[in-house]
Amino acid sequence: MNYIALKMLYGDRTKYLMLLCGLSFSVMLTVQQGSIFWGLMRWSHSGVTNINAPVWVTDPNINQVEEVKPLADTAVTRVRSVEGVDWAVPLYKGVLRARLADGNYQQISLVGLDAATLLGRPAIVREGRIENLRAPDAVALDQWAVDRLGGPQKIQLGTVFEINDHKAIVAAIVHTQKSFQNIPFVYTTYERALTYSPRERRKLSYIVAKPVAGVTPEQLARRIAAETGLGAFTAEEFGWKTIVWMLKNTGIGVNFGTTILLGFIVGMAIAGLTFYLFTVENLKQFGALKAMGTGTGTLAQMILLQSFTVGLTGYGIGVGLATLFGRLTARGGTLPFVETWPLLALVFVALLGICALASMISIRKLAKLEPAIVFRG
Amino acid sequence: MIKKRVSIWLAVAGLLFTVVTVWGGRQKQTPPPPLIAPPFNPYEGTVAAAGIIEAVNENVRIAPPLPGLVTKVHVAVGDQMRIGAPLFQLDDRELRAQLETREAAIPPERAKIAEQQHRVKDLEEQHRRLQAVHDRRAVSEDDLKRTWYALEMARSALVRAEADLQHAIAQRDETKALLDRLTIRAPRAGTILQVNVRAGEYAKLDAADPLMLLGATQELQIRADVDEVNAPLVKPGSPAVAYLKGNTAKAIALKFARIEPFILPKKSLTGDNAERVDTRVLQVIYRFDPPTFPVYVGQQVDVFIRRDGRT
Repeated sequence: MNYIALKMLYGDRTKYLMLLCGLSFSVMLTVQQGSIFWGLMRWSHSGVTNINAPVWVTDPNINQVEEVKPLADTAVTRVRSVEGVDWAVPLYKGVLRARLADGNYQQISLVGLDAATLLGRPAIVREGRIENLRAPDAVALDQWAVDRLGGPQKIQLGTVFEINDHKAIVAAIVHTQKSFQNIPFVYTTYERALTYSPRERRKLSYIVAKPVAGVTPEQLARRIAAETGLGAFTAEEFGWKTIVWMLKNTGIGVNFGTTILLGFIVGMAIAGLTFYLFTVENLKQFGALKAMGTGTGTLAQMILLQSFTVGLTGYGIGVGLATLFGRLTARGGTLPFVETWPLLALVFVALLGICALASMISIRKLAKLEPAIVFRG
Repeated sequence: MIKKRVSIWLAVAGLLFTVVTVWGGRQKQTPPPPLIAPPFNPYEGTVAAAGIIEAVNENVRIAPPLPGLVTKVHVAVGDQMRIGAPLFQLDDRELRAQLETREAAIPPERAKIAEQQHRVKDLEEQHRRLQAVHDRRAVSEDDLKRTWYALEMARSALVRAEADLQHAIAQRDETKALLDRLTIRAPRAGTILQVNVRAGEYAKLDAADPLMLLGATQELQIRADVDEVNAPLVKPGSPAVAYLKGNTAKAIALKFARIEPFILPKKSLTGDNAERVDTRVLQVIYRFDPPTFPVYVGQQVDVFIRRDGRT
């Protein structure tokens, strides 16, 4: 029977291709849009992920990573006094202006790392040595800063430019994840970042900390918050805080949500309807089978087999196309495209749901089917 | 059947491709390790503080008694000074000139005294002679009285001349004392830590940098700033360790010396002194034996003070 079912499915090539196309492109659109959305969200908290520290301490009322509310310098020692802290170092973060000799200028996100340990430094160094940050006036640019300031021909190791009217020398070129606002990252030491930044009463943007073995970042964050009254978050919490802020304060969530939903609905509706039409057209065959004594259960099984076969095939092709798209366009991190398991699973479940729904309607039709239909018309 | 197979193979291939890609992109980057191990707390509970190394007797910022041109610097950085040793010399030409005038004023005064002494003697002689005449008719009463008055006046003039001499000497001594003041001397024994003045420069009274910095570097101590919020957690006598910035491999064991009883506005240790006094700090003073590696006055340290019992 299963063989017959598949034969029926593959027999009508036009309908099969139409079904496959509808499902595949719907899945592809959903996965691709979802991935771009998630990629953008990842970019939105690249300020957190680029530093890659387990616990962040800052003002308790902070909204998101780029909105800095500085603390007093002594907060570092207060955090170090909390039990379970392995290390805690200061981190400066602020948006400043970089200017080249030719007058070209660019907003940059300046990150000041603790000079002795350079904790929070980027993992991938493309050129130069990150240790050279300790040299006078040394800064490390990320690949985006190099692009924005004029490309690798103009910006090399040793290039001198200005940050907020202070001299800066490129000591290293590092690799970071792009930010949502597309402001490139520039790294330097904490003390130098303070001299670069404009005069303010308080300057310590963040304290990043790591728990000792046996204490989870969550536990440590709660403990720091309770003992010091400062805001303490794990990197995940801080990332989510930023994402939630983005969704609340920009139209990006609604925008992508609508696209994804519409893509899914349209694709799935077409697929569902086509499948229903396909069943209706094959009513004669089903009627014949019924006349030969096949039970409704078996017929239902056949329908389900057909719908899940075409569904799974469409799913495979769809995600494959989406991944291919991502691979081709998002190479080098220029486009936000992050495919994740939850998204794939969600689309899969939704697809199965649609298949089941479409089959259900067809099965209802078959259940009411009288074998006599074979002899009519 | 080929077509059917193609679609299924395509689906399988797409799925596999996706799985591989997502799996490959899923690996979370492990953060790079710190270049130098960050300062870590050796105690179960701790109060962390930011500290600075200083001489046990707080460093002396040498200042001139009055503004003036520096003509000679007697010392170099690192010199060991005994108490009272000259450090530098201010321009003293004016006072030296004055001294010469004042010294020149003394011999005339002495001469005046000698002159007056002779006059007194002369008048005494006259007066005695007149008194010795027995015949009242030979000497008039008027002459006798006149001589007597002249003698008394000469005596008074002698007293005045002597006072004038004292005055001239006092004036000379004043100039000498003022001259001596222009040589700036070490107020106590110690090492010259900084010399910010050269011969030919003008020494101002309210210079931002001290002209010279004198301290005793043989015995060092650490001044640890504890945030006022944590001040109640510091128990007098608690042991502590300190790490030099950038040298966390070697801890310096500290001995409690004292707690400064007055909570101060925090001075930023970043070197910029014109801002950011928004927190008050409790200063705890710790002594330490000289470690095997070099430490210098003014170096910043991370301090961890042991904390007993949780509050």
